[in-house]
Amino acid sequence: MAVDQSDSASRRRGRILIADHEQGTTIPLTYLMEQSGYDVRTADSGEATLRIVATYKPDLILLEAMISNPDGFEICQTIRDNPDWAAIRILFVSAMTRDMDVAKGLASGADGYITKPFSNSEIMDHVRKLLEIADGSDE
Amino acid sequence: MDPTNKFWWFAGVSIFITLLIFAGIVLFFWQQLLPGQQATLIDIVKNHFIYLFIAAILFMAAIGFGLDAIFHSYILPLNRLPEEIELIHTVNSGHRIKREGSKVVNLVIDAINENADHYQQLENDVTTRVIEAKSDVEKEKNILAVIMSELPEGVLICNRDGHILFFNKQAKRFFTGKNDARLGDSPVPDDPPRAPLPFFGLGRSVFEIIDRHLVSHALDDIIEKLEKTTSGAASYFVTVSQGGRHLRTEMVPVLNHQRLFTGFILIFSDITSQLETDSQANLMLQSLSGGIRTPLAGVRAAVETMMEFPDMTLHDVQEFTRIIYHESLKIGKILGQHTRVPLDRPRSQWPLIETRADTMLEKLTVKAKHLLQLQFIAESYDEDLQLSTDSYSFTLAVLFLLQRLSDETAVRDFMCRVHKTNGLINFDLRWRGTAVRMDKVHAWEEKVLSLPDMGLPFTLGEVIRYHDAELWPYTEASHDWSGLRLILPALPPAGVELTRKPTIIPDSRPEFYDFDLFNQPGQNPSIDNRLLTDLTYTVFDTETTGLDPRGGDEIISIGAVRIVNNHLIADDRFEQLINPRRPLRWESIQIHGIEEEMLRDQPIIATVLPQFHQFAENTILVAHNAAFDMRMLQIKEAETGVRFINPVLDTMLLSSIVHPAQENHNLMTISQRLGINVSGRHTAMGDALATANMFLKLIPLLSKKGIHTLQEARTASEKTYFARLRY
Repeated sequence: MAVDQSDSASRRRGRILIADHEQGTTIPLTYLMEQSGYDVRTADSGEATLRIVATYKPDLILLEAMISNPDGFEICQTIRDNPDWAAIRILFVSAMTRDMDVAKGLASGADGYITKPFSNSEIMDHVRKLLEIADGSDE
Repeated sequence: MDPTNKFWWFAGVSIFITLLIFAGIVLFFWQQLLPGQQATLIDIVKNHFIYLFIAAILFMAAIGFGLDAIFHSYILPLNRLPEEIELIHTVNSGHRIKREGSKVVNLVIDAINENADHYQQLENDVTTRVIEAKSDVEKEKNILAVIMSELPEGVLICNRDGHILFFNKQAKRFFTGKNDARLGDSPVPDDPPRAPLPFFGLGRSVFEIIDRHLVSHALDDIIEKLEKTTSGAASYFVTVSQGGRHLRTEMVPVLNHQRLFTGFILIFSDITSQLETDSQANLMLQSLSGGIRTPLAGVRAAVETMMEFPDMTLHDVQEFTRIIYHESLKIGKILGQHTRVPLDRPRSQWPLIETRADTMLEKLTVKAKHLLQLQFIAESYDEDLQLSTDSYSFTLAVLFLLQRLSDETAVRDFMCRVHKTNGLINFDLRWRGTAVRMDKVHAWEEKVLSLPDMGLPFTLGEVIRYHDAELWPYTEASHDWSGLRLILPALPPAGVELTRKPTIIPDSRPEFYDFDLFNQPGQNPSIDNRLLTDLTYTVFDTETTGLDPRGGDEIISIGAVRIVNNHLIADDRFEQLINPRRPLRWESIQIHGIEEEMLRDQPIIATVLPQFHQFAENTILVAHNAAFDMRMLQIKEAETGVRFINPVLDTMLLSSIVHPAQENHNLMTISQRLGINVSGRHTAMGDALATANMFLKLIPLLSKKGIHTLQEARTASEKTYFARLRY
């Protein structure tokens, strides 16, 4: 459960966008990511998410499917439709937990799907793995 | 021939012969006289002409009275006897011949009447014996009928042509929103004008209440199953009645002893309220689950983070503590909101039936080609994969998507893959070309499913939800292929439990059925050679503001009942008052008793006549003095745009064919003659009922005269005397 302190101290480079309309989720996640050495932004609507993606160019998006206007699935599809954003990793972190939702999320081009509530170590594992792949493909 | 005409013929011929004989005698006598005697006789005649003239007149009068007496005492009463005797031993054994005419004739009449008493007695005995013999069978039939009428489901039985042979009151309620109206119920005068509902009754077509394509889809399904299996060849679908009820429908075939398809039974359960509760419960469940997960995630993330970073700043600790507090409040609030919702209901009442994927794909290929002219190829699918669907709405949904996709992308060739992965079935529509946007798909989901020739009053989204499915578009990464994925759960469909009420058996027969109709040929244009007893009739009567249709008199009331297979269906009635938009005459109010204020809020003729036209569709119109009523309807053709091209029979003409010797053929006299009780005389419905009963009694009498078919009845009608009366 506990995250390896030496890893967080190593200050890996990486930009993360947390897209969730609930502050209860974004604040602890932001703290956790920042403590682990990542650069973090947050968005509380679908529209804001796409705007920040365009300017901030994150390496990873933690995306709540239930975010509205447009919803998480549509955001994911929009990003996947744009070749410039092919390197962006998308991880759903969502309260929509049916098999159907997970299948839909993965089919719309996401790299992973975590259901709420999640454990910090689970989410950190995913983030670390995804950003390693992203680094690998960049180089 | 009319009796009065007969008399004048008889009188004329008799007087002529008498005069001829008299003239002969005078001529002979004249020739015997000498010329002087002749001159004297001429003088006498000239001088006393007045006496001779009076004598001649008296003589003529004596002959006239004598003839009249003979005619009325012997000829007329004897002439009526055969008809009246026939009446006694065919339809009305209670009829007695009135004593009239001479003593001898009266003796004959007495003898006949006495005979009739015996005959009636015998007939009553036979009837009693028959009733006794039938009562056991009747009892069993009643039990069956009561059970049917008390079932919570609607039941409808149709012959192979889709004509209704039986229905119970639930079925009627589902489709018309009314409980069955008993004979003799008076209409509520301040009943507001009703929205037109489909007509529903014995002998009518089931296609008037259920979409033709839906029924034939289910029939195809059944026929296919019958070829493959020996049992369980039922088909299931959901239909929506005009009143907006969602009806889960089971169609079961009826086979004869040779296993040939002779008809089908439809069993309806009203799932409207369950669907509402279910979708409400599903929504609640989703929002409950989704609602709790998010704050729970917040609490957990905050706590874990605080544990991981024990040396976080006091400000951060306060921030996290605040989050934990607020998120836990949210959880409590959500739980409080949802504990009232019943969540233990079955998930869906939609009848999802397992169909083999290859069968489904085959059907889709054929339909896409015929209905949409699109190529649809089953590219690959798992062997023996079963899809749980409501096959009609699912087919419609896929075809609807193909049509939209084709309109959107201009693609005309589609591929389909159906595979099972991780307990879900991916139903992928694929094409070479650009993908569609998800917001487009969301917009389609709001649309009602309709295609040329096919349709359901559901939106695409509703059908997807009822299937527990999800739909989204995707682009295939490595190719220029795009797709639309429908994910279906791969679980067997949820079973449905039904609750039944206890059944109470009353004495009287509560419903109406006529299983002989199974053998009825479908209604077609060549009805002229069909027997009068096999046809379907609409017997009607109109009340009007006066007797002059050309002078602007208007219809103020129409009453009609149906006769199917020689039975009066008093329940399947049409009864409507009409606002004539002109004042009523005082004399006419005396006849029909309809006051102006009763008509003020009623619909006008242009609204009512199309409804009546629909009610009478494919039947033969019957009315008493039909020429008048038909004239009334024809005058309204231009205004209402409806033409009554139905064949017409007139009971007044038919009565004069059967009883040419009777002078009076008005409704009341004929009814008395045929032993029919008339109630509600001079209301359109009362007169229509009387006419219908009269018509039923006339059919066997016509048959005695060698008139069996519609064609023969019409030809005979044209020949009768009354046919010359024209309005």
